[in-house]
Amino acid sequence: MERLNIAMVSDFFHPAVGGVENHIYSLSANLIKRGHKVIVITHSHPKGRAGIRWLLPSLKVYYIPFVPIASSATLPNFLTSLPYLRTILLREHIHIVHAHASLSSIGHEAVMHSHLMGVRSVFTDHSLFGFDDAASILTNKLQVGNLRNVDAVICVSHTGRENTVLRGQMFDPDPDDPTKLKMRNNVYVIPNSLVADRFKPSSPPPSEILTIVVISRLAYRKGIDLLVATAPRICARFPNVNFVVGGDGPKLIDLLQMREKHRLQDRIELLGAVKPNDVCSVLSRGSIFMNTSLTESFGIAMLEAACAGLYVVSTRVGGVPEILPPDMISFAEPDEDDVLRAISEAVELVSAGKHDPFVAHERVRTFYHWDHVAQRTEKVYEAVMKSPQMDLVERMRRTMGLGRFAGPIWTIILVVECIFFLFLEWWIPRDDLDYVQCDTWDDARFREIAKDAERTCYKSVRDPQGQGEERGSSVSL
Amino acid sequence: MESATLTEEWKRVLWKSQPYPDNYVPPEVFLASLQRNAHFRPYTYWPLVFLACTITQHVSVILVFLGTFVRLNEHLLDPRTLIWACIASFLVCYAMWILLDRGKRHPNVQKSGDSNSKNHLKTLKSSIMVFLTLVSLSPVLRTLTAATSSDSIWALSAVLFLLNTLLADYTATNNAQHGEIHSRLTSVLSMNAAISASVVLASRLSTDISVFALILFAVLSFVLYPIMKPRLQGLSTGLWLFITAALCGFAVYLLAPLSTTVTAICAVVLFSITFVAPMLLVWAQKYKNNIRGPWDVAVPKVR
Repeated sequence: MERLNIAMVSDFFHPAVGGVENHIYSLSANLIKRGHKVIVITHSHPKGRAGIRWLLPSLKVYYIPFVPIASSATLPNFLTSLPYLRTILLREHIHIVHAHASLSSIGHEAVMHSHLMGVRSVFTDHSLFGFDDAASILTNKLQVGNLRNVDAVICVSHTGRENTVLRGQMFDPDPDDPTKLKMRNNVYVIPNSLVADRFKPSSPPPSEILTIVVISRLAYRKGIDLLVATAPRICARFPNVNFVVGGDGPKLIDLLQMREKHRLQDRIELLGAVKPNDVCSVLSRGSIFMNTSLTESFGIAMLEAACAGLYVVSTRVGGVPEILPPDMISFAEPDEDDVLRAISEAVELVSAGKHDPFVAHERVRTFYHWDHVAQRTEKVYEAVMKSPQMDLVERMRRTMGLGRFAGPIWTIILVVECIFFLFLEWWIPRDDLDYVQCDTWDDARFREIAKDAERTCYKSVRDPQGQGEERGSSVSL
Repeated sequence: MESATLTEEWKRVLWKSQPYPDNYVPPEVFLASLQRNAHFRPYTYWPLVFLACTITQHVSVILVFLGTFVRLNEHLLDPRTLIWACIASFLVCYAMWILLDRGKRHPNVQKSGDSNSKNHLKTLKSSIMVFLTLVSLSPVLRTLTAATSSDSIWALSAVLFLLNTLLADYTATNNAQHGEIHSRLTSVLSMNAAISASVVLASRLSTDISVFALILFAVLSFVLYPIMKPRLQGLSTGLWLFITAALCGFAVYLLAPLSTTVTAICAVVLFSITFVAPMLLVWAQKYKNNIRGPWDVAVPKVR
């Protein structure tokens, strides 16, 4: 397909660490590999990470100077990002805005504003939300309004899609029968993926000890209460089973108390926060991965564990049952006794040598690949580019359909947004913008310069006299 | 791609690449696990009325308290009578409490009467302590807000009583039947609000003894009665309804000579809490739309 210019927009990106951050980076890298141009727009980070930075496979990142309020998310305010977004999207000649995560307000704003610049929009939802608490109700209301006119939505699991369709009310009246509702056909399921080479199994040293690995944020939602309840019972039942727990969070105290109370200091090892680079080495210490999450949209940690050759035991929640074939994972209800049963079965299965880590690794390698994800995402982009762009009147009509109260409010926001945009067109005319001239990334040229820079660095270390001169030359690179 | 030409059945998995487009919506499977109003038991009117009695009682207790305060303030009631009434009702309630306790404890535990009588002695001692503390504090409390204008006091006490009503614990728990009372933070806040309201009101009274009488009455009605209430509720339906009716009647009787308008308003409020509010709740149920599905946060079962 033809080359597209894509802007990934989200509050969650490097240098923050997490599932969404990793997803955006890997997807961008693979889209670049397939010949597209990708930029990332996110908020700035402390210690001066603002402005434009480049990440390795020629990924340009715009850190716009917004201050995050809580957990790396910015304040939702509908309009303030428009000047930045307009300039960036225009100067980079963007065709598609791809926003990520429902709690990212920059992402939502990009979806809202994109039509002004004639840019198409895609939104990826990464998480599950309930319907019955105040926070969920508020975010769901925002989501309904924001996703009313989006061109396509991607979800990471089938459960996630059901959830997103309900939350975003993504159904329209059926054209054949106006009394019925029909789901929009622009909601896709494209799973997350992983780099299988980073999670290679290692043959464990022959030993009687069997290690269960837990890597998770230690929070209520991750079901740490279940872990606290079952770990001593597992230790009592199997004298040859040890635990390694990686992660940090508010429930660490509970784990420490449990360990103290049952005197399991030599059986349960608490590692604290694990860096993304160390995950594989932690995983390679064990043969069973235990996950007790109470809600999970996709469960990338389990996939990584399965890829590293561990047998996975998980609670049957959210999208977890979809990610692995039944012979690589076993499920438990979120109930102390049932988790104990599942772990016992897994321990017996692994002790009997019925689970081959290397076979498991090869199988996971065939299931998930970022290249497939990029191809499938490309298809979504293609469909979006082919579909006709909605005009403003159609947009307003659809926005009014949001409801008796919400409709007018969202329409007013839409109109104000348009007026603000017209003001910006007058204030910063398009002719004055500093357009990006050279869109193609020449890999050979980059390598040449990189090699050059490496040589100069090496020289400058060897020859301290020439430092000033060398520094000057490296800046000009 | 037409689904009719496909031979392979669509599966709800992500690990397998399937010959369906990514936006394919399986007609039967999609949203199959969605539950609407699961475990929904519709309310019926009369049980709701019975439960609403708790709130009615709470409001009537506040009204009785206010009526008493006005009488004390205007010297229509002798504070000594109030003190004797408080002591008498305390003793009656305490006796009832012991009787209820004994009836419950009898079958399983045969504890010696020794510890029981020790407990009574302890209770007696601590109640005398509270009594004396209140006596010694009442001159201080009387002049506590002398510099504040009465209007502020009325407003403050109204807000505090409102807070008390909003935060009070109205649950008819079975926990109380086991003898232990789990007080939540809100119910503690509610109790504190009521006591503060009574203290600021008491500071408007003119004599030490009336201050003392009012605070004593406040402790009885806002601290001890809420502890007693769940037990009475569990005891018998008839008794419960009788207490509610008696408290309502008493509140109206106390207010009637003071002001007709206030009495009318209070009667309407009590009536609507008991009979109209449950009706509204029963009517509003038809709008209930509770969606549950696999995306909800599971509740871990831990013993």
